[in-house]
Amino acid sequence: MKITLPALGLAGLLLLTGCGGNLDSDGDSGSTAAYPERAVTLLVGQDAGGSTDLIGRALADPASKDLGQPITVQNKPGANGAVAAKELAAAKADGYTVMVFVGSLAYITPLAVPADQAVDINNYEVVTGISQDDFVLIANPQTGFKTVQDIVAAKRPIKFATTGVGTGSQLTQTLLFAQAGVDATAVPFNGGAPALTAVLGGQVDVAAVQLGEAKEQIEAGKAVPIVTFATQRPSYMPDTPTATEAGFQVPVQQSRAIVAPKGTPKEAVDRLRTAFQKGFADQAYKDFNTKRLLTANEVDGTALLQQWNGSLQTYRDLVAQHKIDLTAK
Amino acid sequence: MSAVIDGFAVVLEPTNLLYCLVGVVIGMLIGVLPGLGPAATIAILLPVTFGMEPVTAVIMLAGIFYGAQYGGTITSVLLRLPGEASSVVTVFDGYALARQGRAGAALGIAAIGSFVGGTLSIVALTFVAPIVAGFALDFGPPEYTLLALLGIMLVATISSGGRIRALAAAGVGLLLATVGRDDFTSAERFTLGNLSLADGIDFVPIAMGLFGLGEILYNLEERHRAVQPPAKVTGVWPSRADLRQSSGAIGRGSVIGFVLGILPGGGAVLSSLAAYALEKRRSKHPERFGQGAIEGVAAPETANNAATTSSFIPLLSLGIPANATMAVIFGALLIQGVTPGPQLVTEHPELFWGVVNSMYIGNVLLLIMSIPLLGVFVRILRVRATVLAPITVLITLVGAYTVNNSVFDIGLVIGFGVLGYLMKKAGFDPGPMVLAFVLGSLLETSLRRSLLLFDGDPTGFVTRPISGTLFAMFLAVVLLPLAGTLLRRRRPAPTAGGEVAAHPEADRPTDTAQTQTGSMEPGPTVNESAENRPADSQQMKSGLVAGKPVSQSPSSTGPADAQVGSMAERPGESPSRNPNSETKEPE
Repeated sequence: MKITLPALGLAGLLLLTGCGGNLDSDGDSGSTAAYPERAVTLLVGQDAGGSTDLIGRALADPASKDLGQPITVQNKPGANGAVAAKELAAAKADGYTVMVFVGSLAYITPLAVPADQAVDINNYEVVTGISQDDFVLIANPQTGFKTVQDIVAAKRPIKFATTGVGTGSQLTQTLLFAQAGVDATAVPFNGGAPALTAVLGGQVDVAAVQLGEAKEQIEAGKAVPIVTFATQRPSYMPDTPTATEAGFQVPVQQSRAIVAPKGTPKEAVDRLRTAFQKGFADQAYKDFNTKRLLTANEVDGTALLQQWNGSLQTYRDLVAQHKIDLTAK
Repeated sequence: MSAVIDGFAVVLEPTNLLYCLVGVVIGMLIGVLPGLGPAATIAILLPVTFGMEPVTAVIMLAGIFYGAQYGGTITSVLLRLPGEASSVVTVFDGYALARQGRAGAALGIAAIGSFVGGTLSIVALTFVAPIVAGFALDFGPPEYTLLALLGIMLVATISSGGRIRALAAAGVGLLLATVGRDDFTSAERFTLGNLSLADGIDFVPIAMGLFGLGEILYNLEERHRAVQPPAKVTGVWPSRADLRQSSGAIGRGSVIGFVLGILPGGGAVLSSLAAYALEKRRSKHPERFGQGAIEGVAAPETANNAATTSSFIPLLSLGIPANATMAVIFGALLIQGVTPGPQLVTEHPELFWGVVNSMYIGNVLLLIMSIPLLGVFVRILRVRATVLAPITVLITLVGAYTVNNSVFDIGLVIGFGVLGYLMKKAGFDPGPMVLAFVLGSLLETSLRRSLLLFDGDPTGFVTRPISGTLFAMFLAVVLLPLAGTLLRRRRPAPTAGGEVAAHPEADRPTDTAQTQTGSMEPGPTVNESAENRPADSQQMKSGLVAGKPVSQSPSSTGPADAQVGSMAERPGESPSRNPNSETKEPE
C-alpha cells in the first residue's frame, strides 16, 4: 500500500497549488448580492508556463483578493485556445467559468483555418481587455539587415521564421514582405523560442517574435531589431521604428482579454470586471507587465469587441488585397 | 572562479538547502507516479514560487526535474511502468532483474549511475557552459531531421521483439504522430473533426495506455502463471561484480548523456536510448540484454541523469529551453523578472552558479535518500496484483487527466491500453511505437522545414557539415549491414572483403541479441539446445531476420517465463520457424 504515499503527496500538491494564496477572504466581497459564493475557474487555452498562462496567473491572484473567492487557473491547451474556447462556450453562463482569450484566435486564426473551425468572439461576453504584446522583426546580424530597405535592396529571396500557422508572427511578416515586394518563404516553427533560435543560428534570415521574447537577444547584440509592428513605438524600444513609420501598413498585435460565456448575468460580469480592475492596479501585477514588456489594454467589453472585430476586418481586407493565403506554406 | 565559490555560499543558505530537499523529494515522488511528469508538476507548482527568491525557486524546480529521473527508475524496475519517458529502456533489463529478485541491485546501480552521471555532468556544465554557447545554435532543422532518423533506427536496434516487428510498430507510431493539425498548412489530419485531436495525440496517454494499462490487462490474463514478486529483496547495494560490470557503462553513459542533453529536443530520452544501444553493441554477450543485464540499467539511467543536467546548458547559457520542462523553468524565471539569455551568467552570477551548484547537493541528497527509500518502494512488489492493479489504474487515469485536465485523454489511455494488450498478445513490442511516436513529429516538421530552407533541394542535408556527418552515421548504421547481408546472400561463404568484412562485428551483436532475447535465461534452460547454435550463426550471416527461430518459448512456462524481463517474448510471440528459411527475409 506504499503507493498511496506518492498519491497523498500528489493530492497535497494539488491542494497546495489549487488554493495557494487565494484564500484570504477579507476583500470587499458581499457588496453585490450573492455572487460570487464559490471559486471561479479561469480557463487558459495555452500550456502552463507560456505568456498567456503567466498573464492569467499574475492576474488571478490580486483579482481573487478583491473577489473574496479563489480564482483557479486551469490549462486546457490546444489549437491556439480553440479547445478552451469551445469548453467555455459550453460552460454554464453563471460567472463561475471565465477564460483568458487570446486575440489571435479571434482575428488571425480565422484567416488560416476553415470557416467551421473559426472562433467568433461575438459569441462570448467580454469582461475586460488585459494587455497587448508587440511583435518585432529581428534579423541575424550576419545578414547585415538593419532596415526593411536593406532587405529589399538585397534583391534576394529570403527565409523567415514564424511562430506557427495562423499566428501574428506569420501575418505580420507575410503582409510586410508582400507590401515590400520581397520574395520571402515562411518557415513555421512551434512558438517563439524555436523561431528565435532559428534566427540566432542563421537557419533563417529574419523572424517576427514577441518583444519580451527577443529583448535579451537584442540587448546582447545577437539579434538586430528591424521594425516593430506596434501602432506607436513601444516605450521599451524607442529607437526601433514601427512598420507604419517604415512605410508599410502592418498594425498587428497580440491582445488578451477575460471572456465569459454568452448570457452571463450582467451583475456577475460587472463584479468580475471590478475585481480584475483591482487586479490591474496591484503593484506586483504592474511590475509583471513591465518585466514582460506588455502594454496595458484594460478597456471594457464594448471597446475590446470593437478593437478585435476591427482587426479581423482590417486583416481580411489586407490579405485579400495582397492575395495572401495564410494556409499555404 | 570566485563566482563559483559564491554560488556555493548561496546554496548553503538554510532556505535554499531546504527547498533543494523539497524539490528532490517531490521530484522523486512524481517520478514514481507514471504520467505526472516534471513539466506538469513544475507548472502546477509555479504559483508557489511567486513568493520565493529567484534562486530558491529555480533550485527547487531543478530538483524536481532531476529528482524525477531517479524516481522514474523505480517504477520501471519494479512495475515495468516507466515513470518518465527517459526511463523506458530501463524497463528492459530493470524489470528482468526485479523478476530475478535483484530489484535492489538494479535500483542501487541506477542510483549510483544517476549520481555519477549527474555529478560528472555538473562538473562538465561548470566548465563547458560558457564555451558551448555557439555550438547548440548550429543545430538547425536539417540536423534534427537526421537526429530523428538515427533515433528511429536506434529504436529498431534496441527493441527485443524482432527487427521487423519493431519497425512495423515504429511505423504505426510514426503514423500516429501525424494526427493533428498540420503545422505548415493548418490542414486537419485524421482529427475526425474533434478539436481535442487538433494538436495531435499527447505523448502521455499513449505511453500510459500502451505501457501502463496494456501491461495491467495482459497481466490479468497471465495471472495463472504470475510468479510471486520477490518476497525478500536482498542486496540493495549492487555487488562488487555488478559495479565492475557497470563501471564502463556508467562512464560511457555519462558522456553520451551530457552531449545529447545539450542538444535541444528530447535529450534525456534520446540519450537513454543511445546509451543502451551502445552497451548492447559493445557487449561480448549482448544476449544478456533484456534478460537482466546490469549494464542495461546502469547505462540509460546514467545517461538520462547526465542529459537532464546538461539540458540546463542551453537554457542558462543561451536562454533556449531544450525541452518542455526547461520551457516551464524558463517561464518561472520570467515571473521572477530574470530573462534567461546569453547575459545571465554575467548579470545574475548568483543565480547561475547557485542553481548549478545546488545540483551537486541535490544529487548527494538523492543518493542518500535512495538507500532508505529503496526499501519502501521495493515493498510495493509484495502488494498483491489485485490490490496494486486497480490502484495503478486509478493513478494512471488521474495522472492522464491532470496533464491537460482532459477527459478525452482518459479515453485515449483506455483505447491505447487495449491496443497495447492486443499488441502484446500478437507479439509486438509497444516500445518502438511509443518512441517512434515521440520522434515522429520532430522528424516530419524538421524535414519539411529543412526542405523549405533548401528550396526543396535534398542535397542540402549532405552539404551542411553537421547534418552531413550525421547522414554518414545514419548510412553506416543502417545501410552497410544491409549491403553486407545482400553480398553474403549472393556468396554463401563470408569471404567478401573491404567494408563488408568490417561489418560482421557491427551486425553480429544486434542480430545475435535479437535472436537471443527470445531465449529465457543465460545458461542451459529448456530448449537452449545445440540445434539453436547453428541457427544463430546462420542468422548472423543473413543479417536482418525478422522472427526468432529459437523455439523455446511455448515450452517455457512458469518461473522461466517470469524471469524474462523485456516485452519481448511471451509464448506465441516468437513463431517458430525454420531457422534456415530465408523466404521471410526483408529485401
